[in-house]
Amino acid sequence: MRDPFHALCRRRFLAGSGLSLGAITLRQLHGDLPTRPLAPRAKNVIYLHMEGAPPTLDMFDRKPQLDRFDKKPCPDEFLQRERFAFIKGHPLLLGHQHGWIRGQNGIEVCELFPHLAQQLGDCTLVRSMVTDQFNHAPAEHLLFSGAPRPGRPSMGAWLSYGLGSENQNLPAFVVLLSGGSLPSAGKALWSAGFLPSRHQGVEFRTVGDPVAYLEDAPGFDRRRRARFVAALNDLNHEHEANHGDPETTARIAQNELAFRMQASVPAAVDLASEPAEVHTLYGSTPGQASLANNCLLARRLVERGVRFVQLFDSGWDMHGTGPGDDLMTQFPKKARQLDRALSALLVDLRRRGMLEDTLVVWGGEFGRTPMNEARNGSTFLGRDHHPHCFSMLLAGGGTKRGAVVGATDELGYRVTDTPIHVHDLQATLLYLLGLDHERLTWKFQGRAFRLTDVHGVVRRELMA
Amino acid sequence: MPPPRPIVAAVLRPYPIARCVVPFALAAASPAQAPAAARAPHWSYQRLERPTPPARDDGWDRSPLDAFVRRTQQQHGLTPAPAVAPAAWLRRVTLDLTGLPPTPAEVEAYVADPSAAAAARVVDRLLASDAAAERWAMWWLDLARYADSQGYEKDLLRPTMWRYRDWVIDAFRRDLPFDQFTIEQLAGDLLPQATVDQRVATAFHRQTMGNTEGGTDDEEFRVAAVIDRVDTTMSVWMGTTIGCVQCHEHKYDPFPHREFYELFAFFDQTADADRDDDAPLLRAPTLRQQAMAKVLELELTRLRQQLVVEAEPFAAWCAQQRRAQADFAAAAPRLGPWHALGPIVVGDFHTAHTAAFAPEREGVRLDNEQEGQRWQRRDDQDGVVHEWRGDNSVVYLHRTLHAASAAQALLSFGSDDAIKVWWNGELVLDHEVGRAALPDQERVPVSLREGDNTLLLKITNGNGPSGYWFGLRATALAGGAVAALAVEGAPAGTGLLALQQQYLATAPALAAVREAIAAAERELDAQVGPEVPVLQELPADRRRVTHVHRRGNFRDPGEVVTADVPKVWPPLPAGAPHDRLTFARWLVSRDNPLTARVIGNRLWSELFGAGIVTTLEDFGTQGEPPSDPALLDWLAAELVDSGWSLRHLLRTIVLSATYGQSSAASAAAREHDPDNRWLGRGPSFRLGAEMVRDQALAVAGLLTRTVGGPSVMPPQPDGVWMQIYSGERWQTATGPDRWRRSLYTFWRRTSPHPAMLVFDAQSREACVLRRQRTNTPLQSLVLWNDPQFLEPAAELARRVLAEPGLADDAARVAWLWRQCLLRQPTARETARLLELLASERGQLASDTKAAAALAGGDPGRAAWTVLASVVLSLDEFVTRT
Repeated sequence: MRDPFHALCRRRFLAGSGLSLGAITLRQLHGDLPTRPLAPRAKNVIYLHMEGAPPTLDMFDRKPQLDRFDKKPCPDEFLQRERFAFIKGHPLLLGHQHGWIRGQNGIEVCELFPHLAQQLGDCTLVRSMVTDQFNHAPAEHLLFSGAPRPGRPSMGAWLSYGLGSENQNLPAFVVLLSGGSLPSAGKALWSAGFLPSRHQGVEFRTVGDPVAYLEDAPGFDRRRRARFVAALNDLNHEHEANHGDPETTARIAQNELAFRMQASVPAAVDLASEPAEVHTLYGSTPGQASLANNCLLARRLVERGVRFVQLFDSGWDMHGTGPGDDLMTQFPKKARQLDRALSALLVDLRRRGMLEDTLVVWGGEFGRTPMNEARNGSTFLGRDHHPHCFSMLLAGGGTKRGAVVGATDELGYRVTDTPIHVHDLQATLLYLLGLDHERLTWKFQGRAFRLTDVHGVVRRELMA
Repeated sequence: MPPPRPIVAAVLRPYPIARCVVPFALAAASPAQAPAAARAPHWSYQRLERPTPPARDDGWDRSPLDAFVRRTQQQHGLTPAPAVAPAAWLRRVTLDLTGLPPTPAEVEAYVADPSAAAAARVVDRLLASDAAAERWAMWWLDLARYADSQGYEKDLLRPTMWRYRDWVIDAFRRDLPFDQFTIEQLAGDLLPQATVDQRVATAFHRQTMGNTEGGTDDEEFRVAAVIDRVDTTMSVWMGTTIGCVQCHEHKYDPFPHREFYELFAFFDQTADADRDDDAPLLRAPTLRQQAMAKVLELELTRLRQQLVVEAEPFAAWCAQQRRAQADFAAAAPRLGPWHALGPIVVGDFHTAHTAAFAPEREGVRLDNEQEGQRWQRRDDQDGVVHEWRGDNSVVYLHRTLHAASAAQALLSFGSDDAIKVWWNGELVLDHEVGRAALPDQERVPVSLREGDNTLLLKITNGNGPSGYWFGLRATALAGGAVAALAVEGAPAGTGLLALQQQYLATAPALAAVREAIAAAERELDAQVGPEVPVLQELPADRRRVTHVHRRGNFRDPGEVVTADVPKVWPPLPAGAPHDRLTFARWLVSRDNPLTARVIGNRLWSELFGAGIVTTLEDFGTQGEPPSDPALLDWLAAELVDSGWSLRHLLRTIVLSATYGQSSAASAAAREHDPDNRWLGRGPSFRLGAEMVRDQALAVAGLLTRTVGGPSVMPPQPDGVWMQIYSGERWQTATGPDRWRRSLYTFWRRTSPHPAMLVFDAQSREACVLRRQRTNTPLQSLVLWNDPQFLEPAAELARRVLAEPGLADDAARVAWLWRQCLLRQPTARETARLLELLASERGQLASDTKAAAALAGGDPGRAAWTVLASVVLSLDEFVTRT
């Protein structure tokens, strides 16, 4: 007797390539894909985006002068030809509200990050990031798609297009959300733009199915689904034989992949299968939508060959309009969550030997002003949006270890050394994955588009 | 600061230049090549002439276009594929023209008489149907980047935009000539005596995104919207990608930087400016609403004539009123002082209004603490608004009324915001409302009993000031009327008029008429129609001056430009004003070489899965050249010469022999021409996102055939509308709206319906020039597990078992197959489904839970649900072959 369940689970699908049959011609038609990628330093990326823009000035870029001139009017030159999202009039400088500790390699870091301090020996701390946009949505679009408006493919989609998937049972580009709301720029941040839609990020949700429509409908168990798919594909084979359409052949394979994903995705996201020691390390609790859970999940997905795991954690927009977004209450709360989860991720990747191949990126979409925002006279302390400088952390995947790159002026208003534009970050990220950002292109609306638009320089300063 | 970036110099390394053409700008830049004037212009810029079809006589052709195709086939060593079977042709043409499958009965009728005349009748019937209007509206709405929300961060809803969508449907229903279709959408507001509908059409260019994010510069996003209008217009009509020219000279096509801003200037003079409310808006009742309003106005006139004062009942009413006034005077109510408790602060307004605090639960205890506060005496004067402050808070007010004898009385209140009233312990008023307090907002008739009466008020405030107003009188009668009653004898003069007015407004005898009038007025109010964002030209004294934006930066204005079309194309007519209307007319003029070619190519692509020019959006030097230029020009000329009738062109194409070829092909034939560029076989491709779902609903008999109206919310997974700021919820339709055609599904830009996205629908943030067509595992999951496909499967299972005259399971399989795929199953196909039926029946007989989920507990029907779901997931089902 036939056993469709096991036959389906065993069947190999389009060995190795991960592409549908039509895709190869499409690629030749539209794209200029380097036939020989550069030697890659990293195979996978875990990108942790702190939605709203964390006050990196208060985390990684200590400014004694800012403490000295706390509550003093900021220099006039800060205000010349500047637009702020919310600050009005002549704002006052705001000193750091938390103390500082020394981490590995003597790097100073905010006292709210004691665990992370002990991981800096594996990180490149960039203090000189620069962007062009001062509002969340445009800045996020710029960071992830290279242009400040929706419509372009995101970083993960470009990588999926450029490198394909390592795992035939999972998508190449997975998105994980925590913190309670979508990023400002919405789902466009993991859009495939004009690239074929299979490159779009697949959101693994924490409520309901991890992937929309993944779970079998009521009345279907695994074996019924297996019999269903076997019958479906037998009938598709009939059509294929009569009609000869290669799209039918592809659909037969996609049905099989869908069937296998139904098993492999829940297994991949099953955090309960992790030992207690791991949950202690991360501070994770299966079933929650938390940054800790998503860090652990990201490790599990990368382990299974997912190319690009994009985490979005919301709640970092520290304006100081109330206790829900200020430096005294909300920031320490978010800091505690981040400190443990991110440190655990780095520890876990290292001890599993995965940090070599996995590039970890941490950051926001822009920085925050050295001035107190004081919107409508708010007495809560917070900082406004600031595109001129911010810090990011990189680890693994061929980046420097224990290094600090770039510097800002003594009040943390502008970059004074080694400015790294977000386009440079994109170019460097692609380079580490073995792709030339100027050659990874897609022809659309009459021109060849790329992640870095018409900008971007690969920055050797960031690499080991 | 980051180092300055050489923007222009860094623009993209060149990629291989299109094969057959020499790019203008490169030629101009390269003196080594022949002067530009010596060569013919780029093919798509050449004047459109009608080519003569090659002479032919082998009897294959059914349309002049077949002669062109046959010539191309011969050039590539191809012979035409055999004609597709009549049933398959009918499925193909019905899906293509209406987006829905034919019924088995329609198939039967056509198979019985597949003559050319019958085919023509079929096509005419299909093209005249509402379904065809909806299907071609779907096509256009992608190009129009239609959506029910603004886009960007907050993505506020645009709940009235359906009015434009319905205009598009109506335009296709009327076969509105494409030139007029163009003019009304781009400049309907500028037409002399523009109708409401012509102005609604201009919402085409109000589909641009709007940004209401904090701190954004409205001008920045207004400029972004105008740029989008230029890009969209150029792409949709002219097949020209000009977006890159906003920053620099075009690298390949002949468009200087300045000319982008000359086009920009056409669209730079409208009043919209990225306002949060999408102003300017046009109140735009639908034709149905306009007709309903006329009917209701007549009805109201008729009803109002029934509202008259008749002598006898009026006299009786006056007597009754006199008694009430006398009783009230005799009762001589004495009002005690107010006592107040509060404000009691609560988390939110609704909770504050509904929660019962101590005075409600325990009764008023003036001498005790209640809710941790003491009652305070207030010496408020009646008939005046009294105010206090406290966001999301409750204040209770209490007083006693002493009456010497029993009487009727009228309590009158104003409140800011919500109010509840208890009279002698009984709740007599409960109104959750947000407003400022004014006199006499609420009236409550009560009975005064002899002795003490108690009055308790609860005033709940949202935010800002709070307060109340109080008055007491005998009845609703106002001053003049009361005075008239006080005079002995029959009332007269102005007093009589006041009394008559009161009689008409309150007499119980007239209650039915008053209610009918109120109902008709409410219904009339509902006919005012939606307010739609439209284009509206600025008045002459407020017109903008358009500059070149240096390097695309609107804050860096360069030279001043005036509206004009690029020099490479024919000029605007001499003497015509350079405005949107002239520009729209120019787009569809006979001299414009592009629009007819571009639109003809788009229609061809909808029917063949790929255009004659595969780059639908780019007819410039970087686009693909046409596979058959003569065929394209013939189609374009046919479109123009038919008076721009899209319906005529569709009819011509689908009745051709080329379209009627079988799409089956051998591996060798596919290898020879994998993309079917030379049309040696019929077209075959997967249905679009909307059609995949609509077809499943249609074959199951579930599809709701209501045309138009506000967008609807069919089932989608929980949590898709996780939004940043707004409280809007996806409210899944439970009635017939659950099964409307997919073009009516609510389209929110940041969160489009996930099943639609999986089938390659786009978020419509910009004009979707060409949808990708992918084949992914996520599509399988939608077909298997989305209730939008399982409900049709269950319905098919119910029907196959209820269908009379089906002798056995094989006959039922054949019915199911025919219902969905419109052909008889082969013996092998039947056998395979019967095998599945047997195994599922066996399994489900002992699995009551699964049987319950699949078919309400009937294991036999549950097995058929599984079978139907298989059929709805077949490649053949989601493909039009």
